[in-house]
Order: sequence, then structure tokens, then C-alpha cells
Amino acid sequence: MTKKRQLRFTIIRSLVAILIALLVATILIFISSAGATFAEKLDATREALKQMLAGPVFRFSKKNGTAFEAKRLADILAAMIPTTFTGLSVCIMFSANQFNLGAEGGIMLGAFVSAMAAIYLPLPAWLHPVAAVLLGGIAVAVTMLLPALLKTKLNVSEMVCSLMLNYIIMYVIKFLMNTYLADKTRGQIMSYPFKETSAIAPIVDNAVFSGAKLSWGFVIAIVAVILCGLFMYRSRWGYAIRMIGINQDFAKYSGMKVGMIIVLSQVLGGFLAGAGGGIEMLGRYTSFSWSALPGYGWTGITIAILAGNNPYMVPFAAFFMAYLSKGCDLMATYAKVPAQLIDIVQGVIFLFFAAEQFLSGYRQKLVVKSAEEEIKLAKARKEGVTNA
Amino acid sequence: MLNFLKILATPEFFFSIIRISAPIIFATLAAIVVEKAGFANIGLEGLMMFSALSGSLVSYYAGSWFWGFLAALATGVLMSLVMGFFAFRLKTDIILVGIAINMMGSGGTLFLCKVITNLTEGKAMASTTGLITKSLCIPDIKIPLIDKIPFLGAVLSGHNLLTYLAFLFCLLTSIMLYKTSLGLNIRSVGENPDAASSVGVSVQKIKYIAMAFSGLMSGFGGAFMSMAYAQGWSQDMVSGRGFIALAAQAMGGGECLGGMLSAVVFGFAQALGIKFSAVGLDSNLASPIPYAVTIIGLVVFAVVRNNRVKKQHSAAALMKTAGKQEA
Repeated sequence: MTKKRQLRFTIIRSLVAILIALLVATILIFISSAGATFAEKLDATREALKQMLAGPVFRFSKKNGTAFEAKRLADILAAMIPTTFTGLSVCIMFSANQFNLGAEGGIMLGAFVSAMAAIYLPLPAWLHPVAAVLLGGIAVAVTMLLPALLKTKLNVSEMVCSLMLNYIIMYVIKFLMNTYLADKTRGQIMSYPFKETSAIAPIVDNAVFSGAKLSWGFVIAIVAVILCGLFMYRSRWGYAIRMIGINQDFAKYSGMKVGMIIVLSQVLGGFLAGAGGGIEMLGRYTSFSWSALPGYGWTGITIAILAGNNPYMVPFAAFFMAYLSKGCDLMATYAKVPAQLIDIVQGVIFLFFAAEQFLSGYRQKLVVKSAEEEIKLAKARKEGVTNA
Repeated sequence: MLNFLKILATPEFFFSIIRISAPIIFATLAAIVVEKAGFANIGLEGLMMFSALSGSLVSYYAGSWFWGFLAALATGVLMSLVMGFFAFRLKTDIILVGIAINMMGSGGTLFLCKVITNLTEGKAMASTTGLITKSLCIPDIKIPLIDKIPFLGAVLSGHNLLTYLAFLFCLLTSIMLYKTSLGLNIRSVGENPDAASSVGVSVQKIKYIAMAFSGLMSGFGGAFMSMAYAQGWSQDMVSGRGFIALAAQAMGGGECLGGMLSAVVFGFAQALGIKFSAVGLDSNLASPIPYAVTIIGLVVFAVVRNNRVKKQHSAAALMKTAGKQEA
């Protein structure tokens, strides 16, 4: 199949998958929307869909009509920061065929460690956030050694192990917060405020984006995307990771140190998740108050699947998911449809993107078409030769 | 310390171990059968969430626990068949299908709960605990003669119907796997699908059956969670039991008896955690115990297995050299 056709197939397949998910969403919205008659329900559904699909960048009001809303766009870009990191983390681990699901706990641990560094380390302004984020990343990288080493040394399932770690991380952090680290003067359980030197500065801080917290973390996330892309496609290690993912036995026979690469992929994935947690924490908050897993790890898995484990595609997938999530939030506010619809939509898109045989009939047709054209071309060339 | 041991040596403690183990046993049996058929279903967690929700809702609206119970089972089976469709027909990686179901099981169930209660009750509810009363739960059963025995009676009698079924199913599943033709087919598909298909076994069909079985067991587990363990469904109430079951399957060596024992070990860890918080320890320190025990258990199991394999290898090598010397 030609490259152009391959691309066309990928795009059409993605669009169909998204359309199916939106169709499911529409049906669910219709069922849950208020209204006594069919027409009323239909109206409510249209309103909800408008909020979900266009709401993230446009504001609808009766007085001012439809207006572009820069603040909401900035919100979406800000929401991309943690999920871009978890998406990259999952990309690298899944590329090596390691189903490590620890990004969820990883981002919480990273955020926690960075927060502690932000509170207790006395460092100058420029160094403080860098050190805090690096510490968060390293802490998670070290944690991920556990599932990785257990996998390579004892063949313990990294999936189960990392899932259990998520719970352990969450409870231990809650315990530490409750018992030792909470600021007792506050009404709820939260840490002491971060030192001002530790904050990651906002990129934009003007009237247009008033209230939107888009920090330089966004730029760091994009840099991380490029670095991960270079690592995966332009370095020996990245090649080894992808090769192990495609065929572990072959990688072994060709002399790669499979065990070490598997450990490397998970440690690197852990570092990315942890650093992402730190950047999210220092760029958006002024004290640590997470009391449950944030869910960024699971979104990261969806993003990695949408991106086809290609780091360069991660920001687009992350943008798509952040857009959809913002849309669902707005829908919940303005149209009274529960925001958790996002989980169902996400699940449906996920399933169809991951389904290898989805639209395989169409793919087959394209392959046949390409082959026929090639044969025709070859024939024409042959005739040309004989004629000459 | 001695006081603490005294608390543990009560019949209530052993009773709670059995009670807490039941849903893990159901999920472990689900994991065992699909593993025998040659794949892993990591969506047990999500399946249990959906079953728990539908069970509690239907039992409320039908006014009878029995219909809720059936609805939970049906939900588990139907959703597992959908998973099977994606995995076997559309060739989605089975692990990814499981992840997707778990994602939907976490937030999607909350969405459904809010929507359904909003349609009928007029206001959206974030859990069904307000709807389910004791009479809508699956009943407890007193065993006539055994409950007269002093210590043992209080441990063994008075459990929920499903708790007894969980232990009974360990036996039945074992019989199904090793004494019936279906079990033979499941195992042959798992060990060598090509060989199975060459003697006329439909690999697809057997995989679907194994998947449906895991859905059925998740249905039992889910029903137990929302209609026996707790009164009503609440978000993330399964809290990792579906994942712990995967570990129990591995620790039990993929067999029903071993899986059951491992599940009871986790039940013990969890009951211990609850007791810890009862004597004043922070519950956040006690809650991770079962998860930590899972990792430790997996490691111990792996070490034992590796040693056994090594021993077998060296024994085989010794036999070989001995045989050569004789010749």
C-alpha cells in the first residue's frame, strides 16, 4: 500500500472511531437530558452537544452571541501538561511491550515529592523548581525499578505489580499527609504553602487569560515530546525498546540486552510521570492537597493508544482528550449531563483505536487497489520495453 | 501486643476473613478459567463495578434481591461477551480491552448511576447506598447444626448465600476444568490452539465461553459487593479486588485450590488491616496492607517456582549423565 493511502486509511479510521464514540455519547445524552416530550429532549440534546463540542473555545450567551474564549483554550492547554507527560511515559513503556500501569501512582508520587522539595528545600529561585521536578522524577524512576526488576529477574507480571503500587503510593502519601505533613491550621488536609522560589512561572498573565494558569510547564512538556521522539526514533536505546516491543526473541538473538532495556523503559517512563507530576504541582498549585489518585495515568494510557505509541503524536492526542474533558465539564455545568460521560466516550474511542481489525475490509480494498495498480504499471513498463 | 492477638483470636475475626475473601475468590476463579484458555482478562475490576451497579439498581426497582442478583450476573456475562467481541473479532489486544472496561467501570458507572436515578427519582445520586435496605440484600444463611458448635459455629455459620457459593464454586470450577469435556477443550485451547482446532474444537467458541464464564463470576463478585458486603453501590467500591484476583491466580499456580487459598490470604491481610485501624492505627497505614501482601506473595511464588524449575532441570541433567555412565 502506498504511503498516501496508508495515511488516508489511518485518518479515516480515526475519524470513524471518534464518530462512533460521539454517536454513543449523543444517545446517552439524549437519554439523560431533561424534557417531557421528544422534541424538548432533542433540543436539550442539541444544547448539550453544542456545549461539549464547541464550548471549550466558544462562549454562548444570549446577550453577546457566540464569542471566542481565549481563557478556556488556555485552560485546555494547561490541562494537557500532566497528561502529555503520562502519555509519553506510557508510550515508552508500551513500546517495549511492558504493560506497566504505574503512571497513575507515579504522577501522584512525583507531585508529592516535588511538593515536599518545594516546601522544605532552601534553594535560589532558578534552581528550586528544577531540583524539585528532578527529585520528583527520580523518586518515581526508582519506584519503577521494583516492577521492572521483578519482571526481568523473576518474571512477575509488571502489570499487577504496578497496579498494586498505585494503591500503596496513594495510601502512604495520605498517611504521611494526615500524620506528619498537614498544615494543622487549615480546615482541610493540605500541606504548608510552597516556597515562592519554587513556582514555575506562568507564560501568559494578562487580562485576556485572566485566571487561566498556563505555566512554562507547557513549553517543557513540548520539549519533552521532542526529546522523547528523538530518543525513540533516533537513538540506539529507543531502537532497542521498539525492537523488543515488536519481537523480543529476535531482539535477544541479535544481541540486545533485553533485560536491561526493559528496565530502562520502565525507569524512563517512571521518570517522565514523576516529572510531569512535579511540573503540574509547581505550575498550578501553591500547596499539596491531592487526596486521591488524579486519573492522569489512565488518560495517559488512552493518549498513548490514540498516538499509536508515537511520542510526536502525543500532544495532539493530549489536546484532543483535554478538549473533550473540558467539553464534558461545560456540558455538566450548562446542560446538567453528568461529566463522567467523558469516561464512557474515552473508553469507546480507546476500544476502536486499539481494534486492529476495525475497518479491515476497507483496508483490504485499499491494499488490493494498490496491488492492481502496481501490476498495471509493471505490465505497461514491460510492454514499453518490448515495444522498444 | 498480647491484647492485639486476643482480638485476632475471636470468631468474628475469622468470620470476617471468610466474608472478605468471597469476592476475591469469585474474581480469582474468573482469572483462572480465562488463563487456562490462554489469555488474561484484566477487566474483572470494571466488570465487577458494572455488575455491582446493575445489581443494586435492579433490586431496588424490582423490589426484590433475586432480580437484582440475576441482573448482576447478566450484566457481567453481556459485558464480557462485548469484551470478547473486541478481543477475538476485532483483534484488539486483550489487555487494552481490559483497561478500557476498567476505565468505563470507574467513571462510567457513576455516570449511569446519576443518569438512571435522575430519570426515576428526580435527583441524581452519586451512590445507591440510600436505596438499598437490608431486605433488598442477598440473605445470610444460618446452617442448622453447625451454628451450635461453640467457636466454629460463629465462624462458619451465618454467612451470606454468595459466600458459601464462592467456596462451592472453587470445587465446581475445578471439576469443570478437569472432569468435563468443556474443561478439556478450554485447557487444550489454552495450551495449543492449533492442535485443538485440528481435532475439531472451535477455538473462538471456547474462548468466548471462557470469557463469558469470567463475566459470570464477576457478576457474582459484583452482586456480592453491592448487595451483601455493602448495602448499595458506591464509586470505586471494588477497589482493586479485580486486580488482586489476578495476583491470586498467579500465586495459586493457576489452579482452583491454590487460587482459593491465595484469595483467603488476601482476605486475611485485609481483615488484619481493618483490625489495625480498629485498635487506633491510621486506616491509611492499614489499607495498603493487602496490596503490599499481593506484591510480596507474587515474589514468593515466583521464587518458589523458579527454584522448582531449576531443581527439575538439574535432576533431569543428573539423570542424563547417570544414564550415559551406565551405558
